[in-house]
Amino acid sequence: MIERKSKLLSIHDAIAQIPDGATVAVGGSLVRRAPMALVREIVRQGKKDLTLYSWSAGMDFDMLIGAGCVKEAWSSYVGLFQLGIAGNFRRAVEQNRIRFVDISETCGMDKFRAAAYGNDFCISKTPLHSDLLRNPEFVEIASPFTGEKYVAMPAFRADYAIVHASRADRYGNVQFDAIRMMDNEFDPLIAKSAKKAIISVEEIVPEEEIIRTPTMTLLPKIFVESVVHAPFGCHPNSCDTRYDFDLEHGERYAQCAKTEEGFARYLDEYVRGTADEAEYLEKVGGPEALRKNLGR
Amino acid sequence: MKGYTLEELLTVEISKIIRNGEMNFTGIGTGGKAYIRACGIPLAAVSLAQQKHAPDAVCMMGPVLDPVLDKESIPAHNWEFDLIYWPCRAQIPLEDALGQFRLGRVGLAFASGAQVDKWGNLNITCIGDPQAPKVRLPGCLAQTDLAAYAKRVCIVVPHTKRVLVDHVDFVTAVGHENREGLPGGGPFRVMTNLAVMDFNPETRQMRVLSMHEGVTKEMIRENTGFDIEIPENAAVTPAPSPEDLRLIREVIDPEKRFLNAGITSEPATIDDEL
Repeated sequence: MIERKSKLLSIHDAIAQIPDGATVAVGGSLVRRAPMALVREIVRQGKKDLTLYSWSAGMDFDMLIGAGCVKEAWSSYVGLFQLGIAGNFRRAVEQNRIRFVDISETCGMDKFRAAAYGNDFCISKTPLHSDLLRNPEFVEIASPFTGEKYVAMPAFRADYAIVHASRADRYGNVQFDAIRMMDNEFDPLIAKSAKKAIISVEEIVPEEEIIRTPTMTLLPKIFVESVVHAPFGCHPNSCDTRYDFDLEHGERYAQCAKTEEGFARYLDEYVRGTADEAEYLEKVGGPEALRKNLGR
Repeated sequence: MKGYTLEELLTVEISKIIRNGEMNFTGIGTGGKAYIRACGIPLAAVSLAQQKHAPDAVCMMGPVLDPVLDKESIPAHNWEFDLIYWPCRAQIPLEDALGQFRLGRVGLAFASGAQVDKWGNLNITCIGDPQAPKVRLPGCLAQTDLAAYAKRVCIVVPHTKRVLVDHVDFVTAVGHENREGLPGGGPFRVMTNLAVMDFNPETRQMRVLSMHEGVTKEMIRENTGFDIEIPENAAVTPAPSPEDLRLIREVIDPEKRFLNAGITSEPATIDDEL
């Protein structure tokens, strides 16, 4: 039998596909299940002029903005949840260094869903009379059937999506744990909305395991361009019931992000100063300690 | 010396506007005082209403629907495992949870923010000119959504001139200035450390409904950034009954995980503002 195509790549090679100036859709929400291993690799490779899409962002956007990778970003939120303000995001917007487009949570989901269903725009009543309409990408229209007012918004059709999931086989069949945070149910649609999806997973499992549990495969390989193995790939974000948010590291991050100099030191120590994710994980205590401290 | 805290007073006042059979929206919240206003007080109020007049009222904390809201079930923390394993009747995809808004199935939605104006417009997005903001805040979250679709919105904020302004710098969530085409009912109550307010149906602007014990009209005018209507017959916000206080203190939240944000990594109180 002819060997089938493996989609399993190193994190380096998967991220190397993304060119400067690309549009990138980012999975996860707030500080839960953001694909931080992929985000750190984007920083290591020094990507420039990216446009980021999210329905609810956190440390992922803040880090990419602070590292100078971003020219434009769309989200309903960029913050650190209980740890407060995302310092790099705040500075960049206040100093007008990036274009930030405000959307609400459902606007972000509508825009991803439109792209995932092959449409180039979507409609919503949410933005009516709000200051979301300040941006030219929000256009008031009337229903051709009832005349009711709606706002039309272009779909989030990104060049790449980066999403973190539970496990996959080497062919790119991606699964999500049965008990999981339902805030992130949109991640498979985010992956489908983009032209190419790069998925990081906690575990690579044999195809037999996938065949044994097919209803967990919310993202079959047809939607997946590349899959990478990234244990603790959300750290310091939480990952469903596998590990919780790393409060101590998160506080360090929040503190460093308060100033440009502080954040440069953070990146030098944890991101640019680590050759890859294996080195990063050692730097933050190693997988054993993380499992012990952050696991259930 | 009052025999109750501001958190308890607002819990009781909010519980009175919770209607039986309705879904109430709180979100998950962050920490400290913001948590107390946006989540802690509303969640305790839903629980109180369930035990008094609204046994079939429920609430959603993001994708966590109809959680059990008593001292045995409120977790010590608010992190990922605590939310996932919080005893509740359903956890559904967040888009379906927010979809309840669009279908008109959410009764009362709770909101808080950096600025509220006389129309009930709410701003949690930025302070200053949005093109060149003085302070950039984290973003709109789902507040634009809930203000568009919920039947009623209850806003809990501190009562200062910086918060209660003539016009917000950014309309994150739409009030009564212009709601043409929006299905929801808009702001219904604004609750602060000084007063309970509603909206005059004729002017569509905020007015005082009741002033908390010890608060004067002058105090309200001095701390409001617009010319607020204070009717001659504005009542005094009634003190919580002994039974309300017993339920809050003994059955719902003895460890003040809700009312003093003990569930978050930043315990706090807003009682010093009463």
